[in-house]
Amino acid sequence: MNNQALTPESTAETREIVLAARAAGSRLLPAGRRTWPGAGGWTRDGGTPVSTSQLDTVHHYEPADLILTAGAGIGLDRLARIVGPNRQWLPFDAPGSSAGTLGAAVASGTSGPLRTRYGATRDNVLGLEVVTGDGRTLRIGGRVVKNVAGYDLVRLFTGSRGSLGIITRVSVRLFPIPGADETLLFAGGPSEAVSMARTVCTSEVPVAAAELVEGEEVGADRAMVLAVRLLGGPREVEESRRRIRAALGTEPWRALHDGESRRFHTARIGWEEGASLVARLAALPDRLDAALAAARACATRANGGAQGSAAITADALQGLVRVRASLPDVDPPTGLAETLATARRDVEALGGSLTLSHAPPQVATRVGWTGSRRETAALTERIKALFDPDSVLAPRCP
Amino acid sequence: MSGATDSLAHAVKEQEEGLLNCVHCGFCLPACPTYRRLGDEADSPRGRLHLMRAVVEGRLDPGSEAFQTHIGRCLGCRACEPVCPSGVEYGNLLELARHVGGEARKPSLLTRLLLRVFGTEWLARPAMFAGRAVRATGIPVLVTRLLAGSVPPRGPRLGLAMLAASGPMRGLRAAPAGSGSPRPAARLRATVGLLTGCVQAGLFSRVNEATVRVLEANGYQVVPVDAQGCCGALHAHAGDLEAARTMARRNVEAFEGAGVDYLAMNASGCGAAMAEYGSLLSHDPIMRDRAAAIAGRVRDVSELLAACGPVRGSAVRMKATWDAPCHLVHAQRVSGPPQAVLDAVPELEVLPLAGATECCGGAGIYGLTHPHLGGWIGGDKVGSVLESGADILVTGNPGCMMQIGAGLRLAGSEVPVLHLVELLDESYRRAGFYAGRPDHGNGRRP
Amino acid sequence: MIPGRLTKELARICGRDAVIIDRDRLLVYESDALTAYRHRPGAVVLPRTTEEVRRTVQAVVRHGLPIVPRGAGTGLSGGAVALNGAVVIGTARMNRILAIDAPNRRAVLQPGVINAELSAAAAGQGLYYAPDPSSQTACTIGGNVAENSGGPHCLKYGVTSRYVTGLTVVLPDGSVVKAGGQGREAPGYDLVGLFVGSEGCFGIATEIEVGLLPVPEGVRTLLGIFDRIEDAGRAVSEIISAGLLPAAMEIIDGPTIRAVEDSVFAAGYPTDAEAALVIEFDGLEAGLDDEAERATRFCLRAGAREVRGARDEEERVALWKGRKKAFGAMGRIAPDLLVQDATVPRTTLPAILKGISEIGKRYNLIVANVFHAGDGNLHPNILFDRRDLDELERVEHASKEIMQLCVDAGGTITGEHGVGLDKKHHMPLIYGPDELDTMWGIRRVFDPGAVMNPGKVLPEETEPSHANRGQDPARGELVGAPAPA
Repeated sequence: MNNQALTPESTAETREIVLAARAAGSRLLPAGRRTWPGAGGWTRDGGTPVSTSQLDTVHHYEPADLILTAGAGIGLDRLARIVGPNRQWLPFDAPGSSAGTLGAAVASGTSGPLRTRYGATRDNVLGLEVVTGDGRTLRIGGRVVKNVAGYDLVRLFTGSRGSLGIITRVSVRLFPIPGADETLLFAGGPSEAVSMARTVCTSEVPVAAAELVEGEEVGADRAMVLAVRLLGGPREVEESRRRIRAALGTEPWRALHDGESRRFHTARIGWEEGASLVARLAALPDRLDAALAAARACATRANGGAQGSAAITADALQGLVRVRASLPDVDPPTGLAETLATARRDVEALGGSLTLSHAPPQVATRVGWTGSRRETAALTERIKALFDPDSVLAPRCP
Repeated sequence: MSGATDSLAHAVKEQEEGLLNCVHCGFCLPACPTYRRLGDEADSPRGRLHLMRAVVEGRLDPGSEAFQTHIGRCLGCRACEPVCPSGVEYGNLLELARHVGGEARKPSLLTRLLLRVFGTEWLARPAMFAGRAVRATGIPVLVTRLLAGSVPPRGPRLGLAMLAASGPMRGLRAAPAGSGSPRPAARLRATVGLLTGCVQAGLFSRVNEATVRVLEANGYQVVPVDAQGCCGALHAHAGDLEAARTMARRNVEAFEGAGVDYLAMNASGCGAAMAEYGSLLSHDPIMRDRAAAIAGRVRDVSELLAACGPVRGSAVRMKATWDAPCHLVHAQRVSGPPQAVLDAVPELEVLPLAGATECCGGAGIYGLTHPHLGGWIGGDKVGSVLESGADILVTGNPGCMMQIGAGLRLAGSEVPVLHLVELLDESYRRAGFYAGRPDHGNGRRP
Repeated sequence: MIPGRLTKELARICGRDAVIIDRDRLLVYESDALTAYRHRPGAVVLPRTTEEVRRTVQAVVRHGLPIVPRGAGTGLSGGAVALNGAVVIGTARMNRILAIDAPNRRAVLQPGVINAELSAAAAGQGLYYAPDPSSQTACTIGGNVAENSGGPHCLKYGVTSRYVTGLTVVLPDGSVVKAGGQGREAPGYDLVGLFVGSEGCFGIATEIEVGLLPVPEGVRTLLGIFDRIEDAGRAVSEIISAGLLPAAMEIIDGPTIRAVEDSVFAAGYPTDAEAALVIEFDGLEAGLDDEAERATRFCLRAGAREVRGARDEEERVALWKGRKKAFGAMGRIAPDLLVQDATVPRTTLPAILKGISEIGKRYNLIVANVFHAGDGNLHPNILFDRRDLDELERVEHASKEIMQLCVDAGGTITGEHGVGLDKKHHMPLIYGPDELDTMWGIRRVFDPGAVMNPGKVLPEETEPSHANRGQDPARGELVGAPAPA
């Protein structure tokens, strides 16, 4: 990440950069504001970063349509300030930084805990303009919420991590900000917290998000805290709160209302910030316990057996556990790669997966950013070749 | 063009608008028992309408294997009609198609023979007599028991089993008749004429008798209608429209002569056919209006009973499940009244039946002409009856009673099949409503 | 007709009764629910398992014939029509629900399972499958996957692709690929998302994993009656602007109201109204009344003559029945209809509706509108009689103008029915040569031999390798007079 980034000011300029790189046989590394370097493992020696941060114009915003079209470089924070006065928001809460760009959020394609309520990132991206690795400018999708004209290239690009093209413009679906936003924090021991999470997730109450957080991160004296987020009309939220309490048979340790609740979750978005190891372990929600056990093993190993920085958190609705750690720059703890590999085998045996979002090169090389996907490898190879035949951009996804 | 096609062109041309109503949406597909099992569009209502339209358009020969097979394979259950948003009158179109198909190629000998028997009194009577005589020997019950387990039922075995199943339920009348005072005569509600039918009269006379008793107990006066004959439903379904019309004319005159308020039906197949006499005779300038008037007075016995409650009888402590006959629920769209009749039997536990509105595969003479598919469909029905946990199956059509009864027996089950009025009748008998009657409601002629 | 050797081979793979080659029998497969296009397939095969599909695909491809997958044939874009004697692989017999995993709110099923039957099967566990195309009582989930189907409740819940979490696909080279599935965090390119909506051009999905939702505890349904359709359109915009998120908002126009009321699905809409707006809220009981009351006020303010609430479940079902069966009820007005599917930004609805009505008048055609107003997905139904050749020509012109009108307003040519055969020539209205080239490229990634559902989605003349690029050779013709026998 030492290279000076190129910052094109238009789609045309982006295209010229790609064409020039292609002609010169050099490599580019698509990026947003570069607030999240290394995420997804596509750092590569010799690649010149191309930051779309200058492409931040709002091209189209008709509040009553609940749709916004903007340059990929627009910051998510600025976007929120633009649509907020109309009581609208973009419920993207994937890990990252609130200073991150819309384009980067789409390119990473990761979703946060609000996914169950609002859909994944890819469900809310309506249209894209991209400059492909072979220098074509494509406008795919559109700015209407339902669109099945042609193949769904928008979904292909969402989460393609800069390997197929540089996203220059994005149309997204917005949502009305709910009248009430409340987060109930329930504290308990490790297995108690998991069982509370199961109760909440299988109840009839439409919870917007349910996360497990280590107690000390939020100042609780119990090992784990279950954060249940309720979004909706005031009466709906009130009723939901009543039922959640009844279902768990206990009072929340704390309840956060509106501004407090929003700030809590905004802070959670930055949970991975500064970590040099982030692993995502996905399993089915009813096997959350197994995924947590695997994640704990990784965290313990990352701490090198001693008390350390490693932490875990889980999205209970989706059965997704994340491990975060700050590792020493030079020598990662011994056996970490093996532990991660074992954890991957464990969750894969349950039909899940383990993906590294951040990892030191020594670890990543040995473990692999993702599990092998031999079945689809031929297809993804051909897809990559279609958009970026000369590998000008980031390496293909697995 | 062949003569058959001419006649087809004539017959179906007048229904062309009816065919054009079909917008090909496909909503009928899942409702069709043959499509559900075979998965072939040609065995779906939409597919069959498409074949009919192809014939009208001159793209398909009505004598072709495709037309004959797939039009022939239709049960005629009309489950497609209630789900059709365009209101396609499938039943009518099917009869026309069969008529046209029959002219292009003669129906099978078996079909012709059966229709001939039902449509001709001097043949029907001895046939039914023979049936009763064989039934009385007990051989069908015995043979059926021996054959139990051989599913799907088909061929002669099915015939015997059906005959066995047409008998009364043993043990139903184990409870003593109520000795209380007979039910005081209710205020006269209306006069009705009962279609005594061919199969009912032949093999289910007890159902006819029960029908008369329960109607009378609810204030109807049942008037004998002597000049009546077969309703012609089987003939119309098979496409022999001329025969059906002849029978319809005879019945219109007979019931007109009786001057009744309503025509009571205890066989839903007959009820559906008679309710459509108006359209069947729509080209007969003399009979048209009269037929429509008579058709307008046709009521299923459950409708007549539900219209006045019906009166509650005494407890029958059994677990029953109701199978809705196609020609009641789909063709006549009668679904509430049978429920009301079941509710009038105290302490009867009514259990839900999965697929209660799906055809049992009896479909007139279908079980005999399409033994494999009929057996498959019937087997599924038997399966859901057994799963329901009921100890009696109640339905409202003799064909269904025989089909399901035969299936149950061949599957080794003792679950008896009752007509709805038989059950109510028993409830009334136990209540002592019939104490003043010469037969005490014991099911025997005085 | 297909070669006898192929017939024998297919019969060995799937059983003799699963292979249809009789020309007369094949007649019933010449159309899907869009009867304007008719092409008789070379054969129809009805396999039961992934393995049978795989071997069928291999055999057909080895004989150099194209393949068209077909579900229940309820599609409205001609997507299941077999051009050039293609072999239809029907999924009607692949109708088993393999698992309903209630704790994880998901189900695994074969493609021939009927949409509504999945919800019925999950109901016992308090779950349902959210996408509800109007044909849900008949259409298959496999077909929904191919078309990325929507439905009235997509306004709040999103379309099919949001719910498909995993697929097993038979590719045209005879390989079987699994994508996504189980743990939802499948890394890599979103092949599942790419496959959903590919209209049978990439392969055949033989196992589908979907997410289920808990059945909402309460529902409020409102019916607003309007004397002007534009007012109904305005009410929709205002409800959304106010931050309400109904589960569905549907507009039914005057001609459609009259057709529905004349059918067996009469729902009690007043026949002199020019628009009925059905609004539905769902969720926890608490708060639903507030939302319904606010929506009622917006309707009245926009000029509604009256607003009724469905008083009970029976009325609610009747209201929806009328809407959902509206398409079929059109048969009451005219023998043929062409249903369009453009989506426009919601705020342009009033102007678009006016424009469509003017186009109808100019071409002397009845255009009946019934559509998902909440997400701007229009369904103008142009009614006609194919026996009237002059009318047929007017239909084509009017259809094009309506499409152009919607595209000019920032819309797209199809919101949920798919491009199929019907709209492929409109693709250049919204995509340039680079986008179309890319779509050809993606198609060839999955189907290098060009055997899967050829002649659909992309106009042939835009194919990069096409000899007559720029010309218009294999146009699917609207059917005129009945074809000779």
